Amino acid sequence: MNREQLKTLFYDEVAKCNHCGFCLAHCPVYTVAGREWATPRGKNVLVKAIIEGKIDWTPEIEATLFRCTGCRLCTQTCFPAVETNQGVLAGRECLVDKKQYPKVIDRVVEALETHFNISNEPNINRTLWMEKLEDIPDHRFQKEKASVIYFVGCVAAFYPMAHKIPQTFVQILNKAGVDFTILGGEEWCCGFPLIQAGMKDKMQKLIEHHQEKVKEVGAETVVFACPSCYHTWKEKYQTNAELLHSTQFIERLIGEGKITFQNVADRAITYHDPCDLGRNSKVFDAPRNILKKVPGLNLVELEGNRQLSICCGGGGDLEMIDPALSAAIAQRKIEEIQRTGTEEVVTSCQQCIRTISGYARKHKIKLKVRDITEVVLDAMG
Amino acid sequence: MQREQMLEELSKIVGKENVLSSETDLLLYGYDASLFKGKPDCIAFPGSTQEVSEIVRFCHREKIPVIARGSGTNLSGGTIPTRGGVILHFSRMNKILEIDIENQRAVVETGLFTLALKNQLARHGYVYQPDPASEKVSTFGGNFAENSGGPHCLKYGVTTNHILGAEIVLPDGEVIQVGGKALDNPGYDLTGILVGSEGTLGIATQLTLRIMPKSEAVKTMLAIYNSLEDAGRTVSAIIADGIVPATLEILDKLTIKAVEESVHAGFPLDAEAVLLIEIDGLKDGMERLAERIMEICRKNHARDVKSAKTEAERTQLWAGRKGAFGAISRLRPNYLVCDGTVPRTKLPEVLVRVMEVSKKYNLTIANVFHAGDGNLHPLILFDERDEEELRKVHLAGSEIMKLCADAGGTISGEHGIGTEKMKEMFFVFSPQDIAAMRKVKKAFDPEDIYNPGKIFPEVQA
Repeated sequence: MNREQLKTLFYDEVAKCNHCGFCLAHCPVYTVAGREWATPRGKNVLVKAIIEGKIDWTPEIEATLFRCTGCRLCTQTCFPAVETNQGVLAGRECLVDKKQYPKVIDRVVEALETHFNISNEPNINRTLWMEKLEDIPDHRFQKEKASVIYFVGCVAAFYPMAHKIPQTFVQILNKAGVDFTILGGEEWCCGFPLIQAGMKDKMQKLIEHHQEKVKEVGAETVVFACPSCYHTWKEKYQTNAELLHSTQFIERLIGEGKITFQNVADRAITYHDPCDLGRNSKVFDAPRNILKKVPGLNLVELEGNRQLSICCGGGGDLEMIDPALSAAIAQRKIEEIQRTGTEEVVTSCQQCIRTISGYARKHKIKLKVRDITEVVLDAMG
Repeated sequence: MQREQMLEELSKIVGKENVLSSETDLLLYGYDASLFKGKPDCIAFPGSTQEVSEIVRFCHREKIPVIARGSGTNLSGGTIPTRGGVILHFSRMNKILEIDIENQRAVVETGLFTLALKNQLARHGYVYQPDPASEKVSTFGGNFAENSGGPHCLKYGVTTNHILGAEIVLPDGEVIQVGGKALDNPGYDLTGILVGSEGTLGIATQLTLRIMPKSEAVKTMLAIYNSLEDAGRTVSAIIADGIVPATLEILDKLTIKAVEESVHAGFPLDAEAVLLIEIDGLKDGMERLAERIMEICRKNHARDVKSAKTEAERTQLWAGRKGAFGAISRLRPNYLVCDGTVPRTKLPEVLVRVMEVSKKYNLTIANVFHAGDGNLHPLILFDERDEEELRKVHLAGSEIMKLCADAGGTISGEHGIGTEKMKEMFFVFSPQDIAAMRKVKKAFDPEDIYNPGKIFPEVQA
């Protein structure tokens, strides 16, 4: 993208920012950085200054635009609802065209182009999480035809810390008698990291591959435990299949009587709304409705809940680009969780789990961080 | 002094990581929430009063301007570095130092967000009364410098009534303590002079604040009108009846439209004006007082009066008021908030004349105001990218200030003079008045180090 295209697409949008500064109170990056460059207001001003030719693509602009978690809490709390993150992503596209971006991104792009996943391992390793499961069916959850595709996502497939999610979710689906399949080595990255990297042009191949797979399998529904894969499909893919997040699908199965809870939980937990599931996809009720159905579970809301949920620090490729900044945001998140007085946070995103539990583990903070699928499977007994 | 040397000296004081000087950062610290822009020489992030003092001492020696800045939410260009210099951004100094319930005081660092203190106080059942619309992000340093107001200041007074003491860094770097936890300090009332001095006399690093127990009960009402004048008349009638509500806020039709599109506060779209009334105090007698107020509203042709039944309903009504400025940018990209005050009874008449200004310049003007204080906030809508329109906006803004002054009012209710209204100072002050103020500035800051180029008109009349 070049300056002219940026102007056509975003000049009117950033012009709506009156620098009132209300976004400063919410932006997780500003909250920890305390610098104007970190503010959504500042990002709007920079995009506008670029468009107007008042400033060139300085190294600081690169640093600034690549330090946004994409949580969109600024837009949520902005009265004219300026879509700052859209401007930021477009700015990243311009920077990419000028070959001015954090070089760590090249590693991910190379991995995606070679292996179709973000971890740079052979894509066949996507099913390694199954090794610890007992009673794996012969088809290893990979069927030619099925009514539901479970799209596992790169993080859950390749990072051991998140393996529990597919491990529990396939058991839930099995117990509920769902006719489902995973795509195994034929599942590719959804393209989300490319959007965040300002390289959305490169994702077309991934989109077409998956759209074709849905047709081949004949699936009516695609289910995601990853909110970012879910949101990316919703925004960028064209398919007749119904797209659901795991929480929506589980809520439906409970409603149909296919999931019932036997075990009493008897403890207090809090729930963290992942940005891409809550604010960005507007799924707030499904996870809460599930948690309410679990006998004995007492949900204590965070100060920032639903639309006002505060990012864990793991969004927008930030963990890859600036791990220290990401960790500082995670620390705030953990402090917010601790203020609820509970010792367990449930969420529905593998990236949030990685960011929060990664920080907690490193700093020896006693905190249970679990995906909602784990809570569900426990309660099913 | 050479730029590199300046950066080196500042880095010695606050550490290299706490000094910014790239072109990008200079652009980012050249604006605030007003229409003005400037360019600093660099930005420093002090972490203590000691560091502020050392930076100021250095700048004083080298005759470099110093501009203190919190969240940059001010609306009069108060933090615009019009003559370059060092911006002191207080984001690192944001702690609550003490909450002293027994003495009803709190001590804070000045980079703290106003609402952050209020949230902590709420746990004790206490409140800090001033409530600028930007309170969720405005800092105490900014409140101090601008003598910020807010809806509840009708009953409780503005910021100056709630700041009892301050730790101040003077323009030569000396640190002094003015006022304190006790009332009635002898000697000159330096706290009184410093609050609202817009960063031109002293930089506050710590403040001692008055806090109060939260009211036992609160009731929020919304009166709906088919005419803006009727809403204005109601305000005068309520006060004339001897009632001092906590707030009396009016929003006009255009503002209602914008607010409804943004936060859905529940204001009717076909109304010409709504009046937001809040009373607080003891539970006993509150219903009776509310009934009296509603009766006055009806007598003044309110077509409907309702009261918030739940805390959620109350919050929603207030979200509409607090979001009014920002919501306006749904109509046009930009807005200028005029801030004038008139004697309450003059409100209806001045509003009519404001609308004449709107016609004269062919500019859309929305009205939202602290009616109880006679504090108007006409919002002139425009697109900053249209230079001709922008020129007209400045003229219209100045003309509205003239209207307020001519009606026996003044040119700022709570936003300060800053960069924006320097020449309008002559609307309300004689050259002698201004000369007297300049003497105060000279006494504190003879070298004009602190926030130069603000408040006073450039040329003596």
